[in-house]
Amino acid sequence: MRAYDCQDCGGAAFPEIHHHQQPWLPFRYSTVDYQNILSVSAGTMPGKHVDDGASEPCRRCKENTAVLVVRSEPLCRDCFTRYVHTKAVKRLESFRVRNAALDHQRKFLLALSFGVSSVTLLHVLDHLLQTQRGKTGRTGFAVDVVFVEVPGATVLKDGTLAEAQKAYPDFGYASLPLHDIFLQTSDPGLSSLVPNLIPEDSSSPSEKLTSLIASLTSATARADVISTLTTRLIVEHAKATGCEGILWGDSTTKLAEKTLSETAKGRGFSLPWRTSDGDSPLGLTFNYPLRDVLKKELVSAKQASMSSKNTTIDDLMRNYFEEVETNFPSIVSNVVRTTGKLETPSVPASKSRCDLCSMPVLDGRFGIHGWGGDQQDGSEVLSVQTGPKLCYGCTRSIPQNTTG
Amino acid sequence: MPKPCANCATNTAAIVRPKDRSALCKPCFFTIFETEIHHTITSTNLFARGERIAIGASGGKDSTVLASVLKTLNERYDYGVDLILLSIDEGIKGYRDDSLETVKQNAKEYGMELTILGYRELYGWTMDQVVEQVGKKGNCTYCGVFRRQALDRGAARLGVKHVVTGHNADDVAETVLMNLLRGDLPRLSRTTSIVTSTPSAASSTDPNSHTNIKRSKPLKYAYEKEIVLYALHKNLTYFSTECIYSPEAFRGSARALIKNLERVRPSAILDVVRSGEDMAKLCPGSDEGCGGACSNSVPVAEEEEGGCGSSNGRTAGGEMAGVEKQLAQNEVAAETGLEIEITSNGTNGTKTNAVPVVNGKKGKKNKGQSQPARKAVPKQVMGQCKKCGYLSSQEVCKACTLLDGLNKNRPKNSIEVGYDEAQEDAKLNDAISEVKKLEVGP
Ligand SMILES: [Zn+2]
Ligand SMILES: [Zn+2]
Ligand SMILES: [Zn+2]
Ligand SMILES: [Zn+2]
Ligand SMILES: [Zn+2]
Repeated sequence: MRAYDCQDCGGAAFPEIHHHQQPWLPFRYSTVDYQNILSVSAGTMPGKHVDDGASEPCRRCKENTAVLVVRSEPLCRDCFTRYVHTKAVKRLESFRVRNAALDHQRKFLLALSFGVSSVTLLHVLDHLLQTQRGKTGRTGFAVDVVFVEVPGATVLKDGTLAEAQKAYPDFGYASLPLHDIFLQTSDPGLSSLVPNLIPEDSSSPSEKLTSLIASLTSATARADVISTLTTRLIVEHAKATGCEGILWGDSTTKLAEKTLSETAKGRGFSLPWRTSDGDSPLGLTFNYPLRDVLKKELVSAKQASMSSKNTTIDDLMRNYFEEVETNFPSIVSNVVRTTGKLETPSVPASKSRCDLCSMPVLDGRFGIHGWGGDQQDGSEVLSVQTGPKLCYGCTRSIPQNTTG
Repeated sequence: MPKPCANCATNTAAIVRPKDRSALCKPCFFTIFETEIHHTITSTNLFARGERIAIGASGGKDSTVLASVLKTLNERYDYGVDLILLSIDEGIKGYRDDSLETVKQNAKEYGMELTILGYRELYGWTMDQVVEQVGKKGNCTYCGVFRRQALDRGAARLGVKHVVTGHNADDVAETVLMNLLRGDLPRLSRTTSIVTSTPSAASSTDPNSHTNIKRSKPLKYAYEKEIVLYALHKNLTYFSTECIYSPEAFRGSARALIKNLERVRPSAILDVVRSGEDMAKLCPGSDEGCGGACSNSVPVAEEEEGGCGSSNGRTAGGEMAGVEKQLAQNEVAAETGLEIEITSNGTNGTKTNAVPVVNGKKGKKNKGQSQPARKAVPKQVMGQCKKCGYLSSQEVCKACTLLDGLNKNRPKNSIEVGYDEAQEDAKLNDAISEVKKLEVGP
């Protein structure tokens, strides 16, 4: 794949990763007024705006004028802000001061993509910490923030991370290039995925990444591998810096998108690990405090025009749920609730994992062969088990040459 | 310069395979397509030597290709099975004429025995008579319910224990996404299984009981587009039936999504099917974590397995707007304290699955942990209809409930028109809404 020059900033960008878009929170968002993030989004919410003329009072405070309708309830700006805070804080019950040991500060890592959801979460967390400090003199937890630089996606040109740091100075910040994944993990399986690798570290991490991405043949595969590596880098960073868990900004809508797109990519087996709160097989906890908030409640997401050649499965699902969300918000939430009912398989510690996504693969079901839907008549293909071990979904993104 | 076939490298490629976009010559495409179905059949031990198998034949492309391929494979690999065709005539004047002609022609071409059974024989009513009785409005309920049982009832009449249908990979993938969208995990897990059966008839003394019919879909991994290509290049005679019933909104939505996915990544249909099978193993209450994807039999009752124009009807109450409304109401209820759990069966509801939870017991939860409550989905209790023995989650199955309503109101003879029409209408509507209630849930 060739990078192209981004029209906005002139920097190099991979085609399917938009200038201001990060893979794990993929919607467009440009200017952020951090302190007023919630009011801003309240003011630009699409679809169900209260008509300018009609000055309906806010259903909750009954004083101010409603500026938007949330799940059929007209709300004013303040009440809307409170609504989002409440939804998020409800999910952060275990982060209370009373659950924190006096001699040990719990620490979590916030994955910041500069999408509106993770920025909102940053704001919510800051607010929560301030409230806790105000009430008890201490906080129930500490937060580090990490941003992953994806090659070419030059989000940082305006010094956005520095701005965030200025607005929320209580957090520790780090910015990591994606190719650091090859430094952060000693997993030989990951390096084995890089094609034509000259033995023993003669290529730099960034060369490895470039050559891995360049070997992928479709936009879906590239977006998929980049987001998988991003997740792994964030996990490795969290472990290295003593965080007990990761805070993801995913909204209800994003989780519903993920459910269907991972299903479409053949990763149904690992859905519970990718969408539910709690222990992740990657070795720490995953937390989704915004899982009860719809995306449209956070931002006016602008439809991006996409050429079909560079459309990815993730893009497709994003567009799909943008539409569903407009008329059927409860169906979006129900998809996430439904995925939450899937049972998480128990994983023996010794279980072998996928070299790319690092998810446990049960019963040795690596690759795309050896099942009823196998395109080749099974048996003889199975015996060739050399090279990297990839789960079904990752094999679709990085096809393995079965003949040797 | 003509492109050589990617498989034999000898012939000129004539077909771009939809599944992986490989360029193949005609003979190679046929062989590969057939071999994959053979692989499906053998890897799942679908057939037993000496078994008599009825192919549910509608005259459409899926069942026509199924019949042709099964005949070929049975001869090539010597399965030793006895294949017959079974068609259902709903009794809608003009609607089946052409497709039944097609089936008759197929029967001749393939040398297979053909049985056509009408709704009149199976239920005592043709669809035309039902429409005459209940009017245009309610007849879709009847059609859907009758259609779902017709093949099983027909097979029972013939003493056949195994019916194969033409459901393809697109149908299965569509059903997986549809059931994710409407939150129906039990159905998701049942319909991804290659074999669905109506067991529990061990106790049944009636040898003709239609509660013990095995149903399977050998084309489960075959792409719709390849089925069409196969029929086209093999010059198979099939009848393109436009389904006269518009697909419900969920299915329509899922179908459009599947088509788009296929465009973005051709393997996506197969990948959704694989995901569905794997998710079936994670469904609460699945048998030892296999959900039937590996065991060969999953009970299925009055199911809709997807695929327009095949043996399936539509489910009433599946409309997205209705579901949205119900879910939104539940959300409000949850916020105001009385939580009505939205279970998988918000849409097709059996009473067992709607568990009202009083606030304080389950409503307020999870003190000090952010884990969402993982609620067990109560396993649907499958019993038998006490009237006909059909596997049903209700005491009396939907078909019998509807037949009851119809029979109560059957005019004694055609001259007797003096009954109070409005009152009879009301009774019928009651019967319909009874059934709807079963489908929609309380
Ligand atoms: Zn207000
Ligand atoms: Zn993987
Ligand atoms: Zn060839
Ligand atoms: Zn109908
Ligand atoms: Zn019955």
